[in-house]
Amino acid sequence: MRELSYAEALRECLRQTMTADERVFMIGEDIGIYGGAFGVSAGLLAEFGKERIIDTPISEAGLAGACIGAALTGMRPVGEIQFMDFVALSMEQIVLQAAKIRFMFGGKATVPMVLRMPGGSGTGAAAQHSESLENWFVHVPGLKVVMPSNAYDAKGLLRAAIYDDNPVIFVEHKLLYRTKADVPEEPYEVPLGKSKIVREGSDLTIVATSIMVQRTLQAAEQLAQENIEVEIIDPRTIKPLDSAPIIDSVKKTGRALVVHEAVKMGGFGGEVVSQIVASEAFDYLEAPVRRLAGLDTPIPYNRTLEYHAVPQVENIVDEARKLVQGGY
Amino acid sequence: MAKAVIMPKFGFTQETADIIKWLVQPGTLVEAGDPIAEVTTDKVDMEVEAPATGILDGIRYQEGETVPVTAIIAYIRQPDEALPPPETEAPPAVAPAHPPAQPAGPDTVAVTPVAARVAAHKGVDVEQVVGSGPGGRITRGDVEAFVAQRDAGGSAKVRAAPAGRRRARELDVDVASVKGSGPRGRVQSWDVQAAHATKPAAVPTTEAGVAEVIPLVGMRRTIAQRMQASFQEAPHMTFSAEIDATAMQALRDRLHAGLSAEQPRVSMTAILLKACAWALRRNPRMNARLSEDRILVLSDVNVGIAVALEDGLIVPVVHHADAKGILELAAEVTAVSSRARAGKLRSQDLMGGTFTISNLGMFGVDSFTAIINPPETGILAVGRIVRRLVVMSDDDVAIRPMMTITLSADHRTVDGAIAAHFLNDLRSALEYPALMTM
Repeated sequence: MRELSYAEALRECLRQTMTADERVFMIGEDIGIYGGAFGVSAGLLAEFGKERIIDTPISEAGLAGACIGAALTGMRPVGEIQFMDFVALSMEQIVLQAAKIRFMFGGKATVPMVLRMPGGSGTGAAAQHSESLENWFVHVPGLKVVMPSNAYDAKGLLRAAIYDDNPVIFVEHKLLYRTKADVPEEPYEVPLGKSKIVREGSDLTIVATSIMVQRTLQAAEQLAQENIEVEIIDPRTIKPLDSAPIIDSVKKTGRALVVHEAVKMGGFGGEVVSQIVASEAFDYLEAPVRRLAGLDTPIPYNRTLEYHAVPQVENIVDEARKLVQGGY
Repeated sequence: MAKAVIMPKFGFTQETADIIKWLVQPGTLVEAGDPIAEVTTDKVDMEVEAPATGILDGIRYQEGETVPVTAIIAYIRQPDEALPPPETEAPPAVAPAHPPAQPAGPDTVAVTPVAARVAAHKGVDVEQVVGSGPGGRITRGDVEAFVAQRDAGGSAKVRAAPAGRRRARELDVDVASVKGSGPRGRVQSWDVQAAHATKPAAVPTTEAGVAEVIPLVGMRRTIAQRMQASFQEAPHMTFSAEIDATAMQALRDRLHAGLSAEQPRVSMTAILLKACAWALRRNPRMNARLSEDRILVLSDVNVGIAVALEDGLIVPVVHHADAKGILELAAEVTAVSSRARAGKLRSQDLMGGTFTISNLGMFGVDSFTAIINPPETGILAVGRIVRRLVVMSDDDVAIRPMMTITLSADHRTVDGAIAAHFLNDLRSALEYPALMTM
């Protein structure tokens, strides 16, 4: 099958849905001639014109509000926040308006919008361009939060997000844009709210999100050489969270580790751990359930410090080995 | 000053209670009112509650031991507080199910003076300390080692993974007996599995051909002792009568017609209860008990109802049954029976019985004789109601619902004539319930 990069897969999805459906359009900063900060919309302006590829000034609150208004009139907007960090400026629109309107109007109005945003560190972009803020949105009723970990899921999840009648926060990862995977040419959906077992194993369940799925897969290859078989689950949608496969997996392996890039304190991993220990999987635990996540610090500019601020492959290998071999 | 936990006295005639289970490990913080131990008397299982908030410590009796009522069984101390020195020995367990770890000698344990002072200061019961000095004398080092082990958690806490505990439950293995291979000795599921696999033939039976060993403890032992005593001491006379249950059934149906859906149904037992109470009033000698060299004729008519449990039998008592109407009795029987089956009887539910009814009709029994529930004088055994051909007074033959009742009476307190008179009154009341209004 044909390989596409994560960015190309997203672009293909956007092109296909915009071609087939006039309600779909894009709005964001530098998405036109420049093609977006990470090139996702490269070429789309020429194809669809500036009515449907709308360049905005630096105005995150405004473009989020424009998405909400358009969605209320029946459009299916795809907004782009250039760096996830700046979504802070859109929070009133997202949290107070987009998330609530469907409920406050008793379902008479819906807000079928997608807000795409690249998160994560590893590009030397420092503290204001490297954050992983997904759990802010997990805590808001009315929003869905999607975190694709590969090109195939990126294309399918984006289509599902566009056709979902709720506001969807679509968190991409800067370091994933250039990673490749087999991606079918025809349009397809990866359903929201469905976890995926990306690797089967018997010794340890690792729940990982976004780029940590890729790092965990690499760690699993190393661990397999030590006869430690890791089962990896990618929730793909962190809200709503499909926890049943996680619980079933922990019942099988008796051990669990949650890995994400976002800061550990108050992070999404705490939710996963809680759901595991509160479930019937508790009685199957052979060891404490652990989290491996970002340090409680702004991402440093210094390359070495940046590297060590978030989980890397070797950290996952160490933690997994310790869990399986009785270190905890 | 640490607060002593005493073995409560649940019943007027109760002298001992068995400790079934400590619900809280020594060294655990408890709130006043928390249940800390399960105990069983000869009548009922009860919980002992913490008399104060603090740390449970200084347990003096182990599970399975029989303890005199009001004996100190443990202490609740504050974190900065020592246990009081054992100025007196704990009264010995009446019949220790498990021999104490160290057979206490006839004399006091030999302790060096400094060890005694340290022990008192640290709240250590010296009898629990193994002495390493000459002749087994307990030294200061022994006491300090004991304290160190105790404060380190000692044997109180078992470290086990949730999976280890689950497997132990499934395989009926005591996690405390399993050596853990996990970090800091944590018991893992495979440790339990291994311990189970090496356990000689699961639950070994001591004798060939024995499928299961059921310890004679608690309620089972009480039933065994009391029934044997009754059968040996009380000369049982038995009297049977066939009762035409037509009127009972009509009465029940008539009462049911007037009941709302929420009110409890009127059982045959409730009608029998009413009739027995009425007949006992008319025959006070049947409502008596033997006490040494006297017969005590009792003023209250309190009728017990035998209730079958999963493994055992309990007799909750309906007090002043003669003063209550059938509907009230029906409600009480329903309430005490369900409390009995739920194991939630209060001690007053079990006290003061003067007569007992055992109804096995619902089990399809035609007739049987029951063993008197001491110290009562009589017990009525009730069989099922079955339709039979009956020769009526006019020599006609009719099909009637018939029921056999059998009275067992203690010949030491009553003679046959009194028992027969009681049984006749009972028959009259059951066949002509209107008589009871007289």
